[in-house]
Amino acid sequence: MDYDALVVGGGIGGMESSLKLGDMGYKVLLVEKEPSVGGRMILLSKVFPTLDCASCISGPKMSSTINHPNITTASSSTVLGIRRGDDGRFLATVKKRATYVDPAACTGCQECEPVCTVAVPDQFNADLVPRRAAFLAFPQAVPKKVVIERAGTSPCTDTCPAGIKAHGYVALIRNGKYEEAFQLVLEATPLVGTLGRACYAPCENECTRDDVESSIPIRRLKRFVADRHYATTDGSGVSAPEPNGRRVAIVGSGPAGLTAAWQLARLGYGVTLYEASPEPGGFLRYAIPAYRLPQDVVERDIANVTALGVTIQTNSPVTDLEALHHSGFDAVLVATGTPRSTTLDVPGEHLTGVRSGLDFLRDVRLGTAPDWRGRRVVVVGGGNVAMDAARTARRLGASHTTIAYRRGPDEMPAMASEVEDARREGVAFEFLVAPIEVVGDESGRVTGLRCQRMALGAPDASGRRRPEPVEHSAFVIDCDAVIGAIGMVPDTGDFASTLTVRTDRRIAVDPATRQSEIGYLFAAGDVVNGATDITRAVGEGRRAAHMIDRYLTGRPLDGFVALDDRLAVVDKATVLSRQKHYTPREATPDTMSLADAPIDFSEVERVLTEIEALAGAGGCLDCGVCSECGQCVHACPADAIDLNAKDQVIEVDVGAVVVSTGYKLFAADLKPEYGWGTYPNVITGMQMDRLLAPTRPFNTVLRPSDGKVPERIAYVSCTGSRDRTVDNPLCSKLCCMYSVKQNQLIMGTLPLADVTMHYIDIRAAGKRYDEFYEQSRAMGASYIKGRVSKITEKDNGDLVLRYEDIENGGAIVEAEYDLVVLAVGVQPNREVETLFTDEHLDLNEYYYVGEPDDDLDPGRTNIPGVFVAGAAAGAKDIVDSITHAGAAVSQVAAYLERRREDDRISRELDTLELSR
Amino acid sequence: MTSTINRDVREVIREEPLMHRPILEALANGPLTVPEIAEAIARPSDEVMFWVMGMRRYAKLVELREPTDDGYFLYADATSGARS
Repeated sequence: MDYDALVVGGGIGGMESSLKLGDMGYKVLLVEKEPSVGGRMILLSKVFPTLDCASCISGPKMSSTINHPNITTASSSTVLGIRRGDDGRFLATVKKRATYVDPAACTGCQECEPVCTVAVPDQFNADLVPRRAAFLAFPQAVPKKVVIERAGTSPCTDTCPAGIKAHGYVALIRNGKYEEAFQLVLEATPLVGTLGRACYAPCENECTRDDVESSIPIRRLKRFVADRHYATTDGSGVSAPEPNGRRVAIVGSGPAGLTAAWQLARLGYGVTLYEASPEPGGFLRYAIPAYRLPQDVVERDIANVTALGVTIQTNSPVTDLEALHHSGFDAVLVATGTPRSTTLDVPGEHLTGVRSGLDFLRDVRLGTAPDWRGRRVVVVGGGNVAMDAARTARRLGASHTTIAYRRGPDEMPAMASEVEDARREGVAFEFLVAPIEVVGDESGRVTGLRCQRMALGAPDASGRRRPEPVEHSAFVIDCDAVIGAIGMVPDTGDFASTLTVRTDRRIAVDPATRQSEIGYLFAAGDVVNGATDITRAVGEGRRAAHMIDRYLTGRPLDGFVALDDRLAVVDKATVLSRQKHYTPREATPDTMSLADAPIDFSEVERVLTEIEALAGAGGCLDCGVCSECGQCVHACPADAIDLNAKDQVIEVDVGAVVVSTGYKLFAADLKPEYGWGTYPNVITGMQMDRLLAPTRPFNTVLRPSDGKVPERIAYVSCTGSRDRTVDNPLCSKLCCMYSVKQNQLIMGTLPLADVTMHYIDIRAAGKRYDEFYEQSRAMGASYIKGRVSKITEKDNGDLVLRYEDIENGGAIVEAEYDLVVLAVGVQPNREVETLFTDEHLDLNEYYYVGEPDDDLDPGRTNIPGVFVAGAAAGAKDIVDSITHAGAAVSQVAAYLERRREDDRISRELDTLELSR
Repeated sequence: MTSTINRDVREVIREEPLMHRPILEALANGPLTVPEIAEAIARPSDEVMFWVMGMRRYAKLVELREPTDDGYFLYADATSGARS
């Protein structure tokens, strides 16, 4: 796309430049990094010396800018770089940040704001008040469109293999929206109560709070909302949709199958689950012991699925997938998991007392557990099933339970917390031992497990160090029972005639779509991937359901945003850098209740109390800023919010560039002797301007420390300007006058307040500026000449200023105030330094954009075709900025016309040349 | 009691949604000033200012029209029908 001019920065200088160029007929692209044009001026209360309303002056200009037929405004956009093209024009790369709101649909009603669950400092109110992650920059914003601040996907959400929006439900809990949190998890899976207990919580490992102290209890928060929901509500609260007339069969009712059924049923599919066992749930029902996952929790989660009309046929093993399809199902999903245990493959495995871990756990769930009171049990393996089997054996009365594992503790695949819990329940561990024989007596009963010592060698394909036998190290662990829990494999023999089954019995499908070679047949979960965990299985079920829906509706098998196309994860260091310091928080209490010799299968973990849940959720750092809780989406009456929107990077061809990037305000905490950032009642001039503005953050001018109406207000001029101690010897030109302006406004707003300005000298060099200053004095403002050396705070929040009273003999004086305003100066915006990628934009000695001949040729920079407008070239008030922008526009017009003329002459010469 | 800022502003502001309930509970018996709310919920008044002003912004609280003789406005639960 071509423009005559690119204007960088939409403050008063940029708007004025754009409007004048647009009026001259030039096509202009105005790029503004904020969501609204208007710069700082629109945030001011009034302007000096006329005391005109800033909004009243700026608003029409803002509106004219974005509605001008020759101006294209790109707000929430950044110029990434500008380089010179071969034809002498410029190529600019512009990043248009996703605002996650369709500007054509958004009416600016702000219904999304109150329901947003994330509070952040409002930079448009100088951080004096919270705003929401979904926000309209300010009431007069142009364009008046809400934006949603997203820094990326929060690490907790990003790492969830089920695509559950962990940050979202944590933020909802923090807002007391427990049911909404439950419903957010339901969007991913019906297994909310299950995952609240048995998820291995990779989110907590990625929690940024863990880098400060300890992770927030994300899994337990999920359980909190699940238990709360189930305690008060029958069913999921989700209504069954209108049937769409299509049917899907799902073979296997474990976490993948149940989740797929849930997702498809919500889309109106008629779903039937086929389960070989007597009860649905797969591993949830038969492999995870009740002390970790009570049966009633599984049943309530499954009831969510059946409530949508899903039929579950138990005791119904499926052997012929094609026949299932021909019986009336449009698609079939195989999600049968890994129901078979890997055998120990050692002599003596046939002896009485040898069991596989899965069979053992299943028997216990079915109520056919062996009586192991006083028995000695060895569990072989280092995974979660081994831990579950060992802890279950303890509950069956085993006097000694030992886990024998061929690697070391650091190589164990079981969750660290499971290992620790097993240890706390009296399970012993033998590391670096491998079974070589099950030893038995004459009656065929187990009497021991002969093992061999191992040593760790080089890492194997899994990355773990390979265990290698130590010669002559065999020994026997005396025991009465041996449980083999060294692995699990799928049971796919019946499907081999229809699907591609690998040698390891896993089904081969497309890794992205989970579709097999036969279009209507899909497979997902552990039957495809091998044994993983229930959370990954949930993600698999979601993916398969999505792809089946795409397949049955004739769409490409892609677009699985929940896991494949999330915003990039936010960098933790960036998150942590948002705060200067972190206050330690009390850790969430340990809710486990473990006994050395557990006697029953009652649940070992209690649910968080509401106070604990709120405190735990309160620790969330809102890494991605927006939590993706989805409340805004539900609240928006215009259906304008799309959290899946993406940034866009475009390249534009422009004839000239106007740099109007404005200035930065001095960071007042660089003068620590004044206490800004330490004493709440020390504020900056910009903060006071916000307090005085009609759209102010407080109900009037109040002390930030306690909300008191201040009666004694002091100004400290030249904070950060004319000050070599902060490397800024320049006068900022506008601080005196904005202070004088504020003095008058305060006296109007708070008639009883005393206003005193501590100054070095008053610089009132402008049209009617001095009269304005004198008017302020006449109104009663006091002006004391002398620099303030220090500010201290009293116990009641009052402030003591120490200064030299030059006009009264130079005495060192201390004066007390309720509120102190630092008249901070301005500084160059050095972001311009990286604007041009192949030419160097010269800055002057104070780092403002240089004008080689600013006396006679204002607005021209060292780069032909690049011009500067407003405060980017040096401190200027509004009037001077507009005047300077006018000068820059004249330069741009002259440059563009010169180039046009040169091009015309060049074309004529070319024509002449050709005609000869 | 000194009012020196102890916590990062972002940290304080992040807690605003969490503080709605205790603040509204403190206001259950009638409007209070910021220092009174701070005392009721045992939190620093400069932090309470952020929360009260956030709640005011999103129409959870309203201020009564005139300040007290001590120069403090009273804030009330917006649903209480208090005069703003």
